[in-house]
Amino acid sequence: MAIKKKFPYKAAFVACNGGCRAGECKYGCMGCGACVDACRFGAITLNGYGVAEADEEKCIGCGMCARACTQGIIRVLQSACNIAVKCSNRDKGAEARRQCEVSCIGCGICERACTAGAIRVKDNCAVIDEERCLSCGMCAVKCPRGAIRDLRGILTPKD
Amino acid sequence: MSTFVVNGRTVTAEENKKLLRFLRDDLGLTSVKDGCSEGACGACTVIIDGVICKACVPDTDNLEGRNIVTVEGLSDWEKEMYTFAYGEAGAVQCGFCIPGMVMCTKALLDKNPDPTEEEMRYAIRNNYCRCTGYVKIIDAIRLAARIKRTGVIPKPSNDDWKIGSRVHRIDVEEKVLGTGKYPDDYYMEGMLYGSALRSKYPRARVLSIDTSAARTLPGVAAVLTAEDIPGENKIGHLKHDQYTLIPVGGLVHYLGDAIALVAAESREILERAKKLIKVEYQVLPAIHNIQEAGVAGAPRVFDQEKDNICAYKHISRGDAEGEISRAKHVISRHFETPWTEHAFLEPECAVSYIDQDGDVFIYSTDQSAHQTLHECCMALGTDKVKVQNALVGGGFGGKEDMTVQHHAALLTYVTRRPVKVKLTRAESLLIHPKRHHFEMDFTMGCDENGIIKGVKAKVYTDTGAFASLGGPVLERACTHAAGPYNYQNFEIEGTAYYTNNPPAGAFRGFGVTQTCFATESLLNMMAEEIGITPWEIRYRNAIRPGQVLPNGQIVDESTGLVETLEAVKPYYDEAIAAGKPAGLGCAMKNAGVGVGIPDTGRVKLMVGDDEKVHIFSGASCIGQGLGTVLVQMMVSNTDLDRDDIVYERSNTWISPDSGTTSGSRQTLITGEACRRACEKLMEDRRSGLSLRQMKGRTYYGEYLAKTDPLGADVPNPVSHVAYGYATQLCILDKSTGRIEHMIAAHDVGKAVNPLSCEGQIEGGVVMSMGYALRERYPIDGNCKPIEKYGSLGLFRAHELPRITALVIDKPGLKVACGAIGIGEITSIPTAPAIADAYYRLDGERRYSLPLCNTPYEREE
Repeated sequence: MAIKKKFPYKAAFVACNGGCRAGECKYGCMGCGACVDACRFGAITLNGYGVAEADEEKCIGCGMCARACTQGIIRVLQSACNIAVKCSNRDKGAEARRQCEVSCIGCGICERACTAGAIRVKDNCAVIDEERCLSCGMCAVKCPRGAIRDLRGILTPKD
Repeated sequence: MSTFVVNGRTVTAEENKKLLRFLRDDLGLTSVKDGCSEGACGACTVIIDGVICKACVPDTDNLEGRNIVTVEGLSDWEKEMYTFAYGEAGAVQCGFCIPGMVMCTKALLDKNPDPTEEEMRYAIRNNYCRCTGYVKIIDAIRLAARIKRTGVIPKPSNDDWKIGSRVHRIDVEEKVLGTGKYPDDYYMEGMLYGSALRSKYPRARVLSIDTSAARTLPGVAAVLTAEDIPGENKIGHLKHDQYTLIPVGGLVHYLGDAIALVAAESREILERAKKLIKVEYQVLPAIHNIQEAGVAGAPRVFDQEKDNICAYKHISRGDAEGEISRAKHVISRHFETPWTEHAFLEPECAVSYIDQDGDVFIYSTDQSAHQTLHECCMALGTDKVKVQNALVGGGFGGKEDMTVQHHAALLTYVTRRPVKVKLTRAESLLIHPKRHHFEMDFTMGCDENGIIKGVKAKVYTDTGAFASLGGPVLERACTHAAGPYNYQNFEIEGTAYYTNNPPAGAFRGFGVTQTCFATESLLNMMAEEIGITPWEIRYRNAIRPGQVLPNGQIVDESTGLVETLEAVKPYYDEAIAAGKPAGLGCAMKNAGVGVGIPDTGRVKLMVGDDEKVHIFSGASCIGQGLGTVLVQMMVSNTDLDRDDIVYERSNTWISPDSGTTSGSRQTLITGEACRRACEKLMEDRRSGLSLRQMKGRTYYGEYLAKTDPLGADVPNPVSHVAYGYATQLCILDKSTGRIEHMIAAHDVGKAVNPLSCEGQIEGGVVMSMGYALRERYPIDGNCKPIEKYGSLGLFRAHELPRITALVIDKPGLKVACGAIGIGEITSIPTAPAIADAYYRLDGERRYSLPLCNTPYEREE
């Protein structure tokens, strides 16, 4: 279905790396597929880890998947902001670390690295303020957990 | 270790480091500018695998197999195209952000040959520019896109270099291609890196300094303390109250005070050595604000002063008190304006070395090479010093004081080796003087027709840790607080207090940005009380040629406030008719230092062996385009062509001192000196001499802008040789509450280069949109600035409203072919205009900046 997208583009983003294949993390994607069913554009699929992933090209940012997500971890982000926190784990550091190899542990290194005051740890998980973010990716390269990603795959690996 | 491709060449980075460091230090690709090294500014933007990336972010070890392009790697066609597009659009001012902007342009156009306006704005949204307000950069992108699509580079639209022509600036190519050198772009054989250890406390006495461990660290070339300074320890722009290095027993004034200087073989050793210096302090209670400074018996910021008052001004003419008491309408209010950071893109940097004459030679980024010379000579105790202006990556007043130049000079003097001293962005935010925080109480009295009868005010400023230009800023704030109106009863009292905060000094507008907010806001309130429009009250009171300003000066025929009001009228009326919230502000600003201070412009024209006339003037181009102005001045006042003329950057051994780039003065003062030198040159030309026959000859022009001191015992003192006037209009979008359109009409006398003039206006307006709506510089309990460069709240390209710059040419001024400086006034009336527009939107009057309850406001 060809839909003319309006600039600035928006796209769904699943805030989960899918690092906990054991399914221990109670915050992350459970692979239930509700978002896949909700999407009318075939923009969301379950990836190799069984975790939902949005295709920016196909996504029009309508937000249907976000509303369908029972975990509340799908956000509609501005495509121009290419740096995103791919984790929603709100447990304390040690527990979050145990549950997943790429979880945010709320250490705050990203906060200190950010020149724009755009990233804050809230409930043990980093959150980026898109209005303030300068998309430099300093948080992504400094994140000791690989939880913050450059969605273009330049500063951090794409997967 | 990793291997990747840079500009088509395969390279290997042996040691892991930031890509920025590798490109600059190892490959010598100095188009990649280092503006912050923290991911904020975007001056180091390069293209990696087709997408833009700030080079200060990735580590080289993570770039295996990547393909990286910098401006140096553009094809010849691309270089020509971008140079033309940026020149034709007038997009280049200081130039420091430009290579990064060019990379953004390329990345956009390579994917999208016909981008929309919004796509262009988004392409540069993560890159800051402090000079242009982005407007002309977006024009350049649009033009580049068209050229790329058609494959044809057109001819410049203006090639007549006379005054009034929109020619491309002379420095476009070197700034677009990144070949022009700022001090940081100089790399020398055997160059050391220097830096200062700063105080840990804002107010403390230094009890001891132990540098022994640092001195013995391998790779450290020198560690200097106060006793190693051969000349005077104290320097300062006017008052010599600033220690170069705090001596044992000396009092620290703020966190930026330097205690020891280190020079080392590498940046890493330098930082290690600084950590090895042990300083013992007696920590003392600090002064945090005006209130604490003013309390009787408060701790003193300076040992040698009797209190914390840096300057006190009292200006009175007529009977303000009496007229206000008799006035039909009287309004009194308290106003506050914040500290503001200049946020120029290029951090302070100096490179010095011993030249072939045995002199200490300094490449400097400053607003006056001669001032740098003077202060460095003082510190070194010798006049064997030369200063050469490199390119200056923006100043806005923040580069008037010494920051790194004297440190570099000292380290070179002692080590006899080249030394580079560069401030980190965090140091820069702490160290150079800021725009003053003002607290103001204003009272205005008007008659029933809205005619101003009198204004009375008291202002208090926090001038921070040393005098800098705190006195003159206070004075200009006071003299201009009356506004550009025709009334004769004005009284103002101003006090500037020292505190242990970072210093405050010159900043575009020089105090007038602050008091104008108060006066213009009162006038807007007064209009409402009387029942006339803000436009009407200004039109009734506006100063007109032949009338007398509240300071007693009779204004000349060039006075164009009314013309600026008339220019915005159609926009104003249309907005009102459409029911849109609209706010107005007017301003005047002097061009030239004025008030009796000797203010001299000097230009030397030398005909070189190349049979070209070289312009030498000790006047810094800080990005505003002085070189282009002087070349246009010459083409207009001689029979020479553009190609016969070479502009030379300011230096101290050939260029005669033409004063500081301050007070919107260079176009007028140095411009007139240039015109006078042209007259002499033309005597030879008229006698039939060719440039070949003139080889080796020199033509000198000097202009003293003579004015009367404040309080001069004459009925109508001439405070300033010229004033510029402006009216700015802010129109809001009712549905979003955001600014829809800013219209800025400026009386500039004769616009030497209207394209540059518009660039100044757009840049000034956007800078002051930040001042009005969002920019903050909070200081914590330890007198430390909190924000980083990226969180200051500077406006970004995608947030801009439409901006219309109206250049009003009004002849009448007898000097410099009628040109009046534009630099500062562009930033002055913006804030009150925006404040009034928000009042029209929601009925809330706002008396402090940045304005609260707007969509631009940020949570703390």
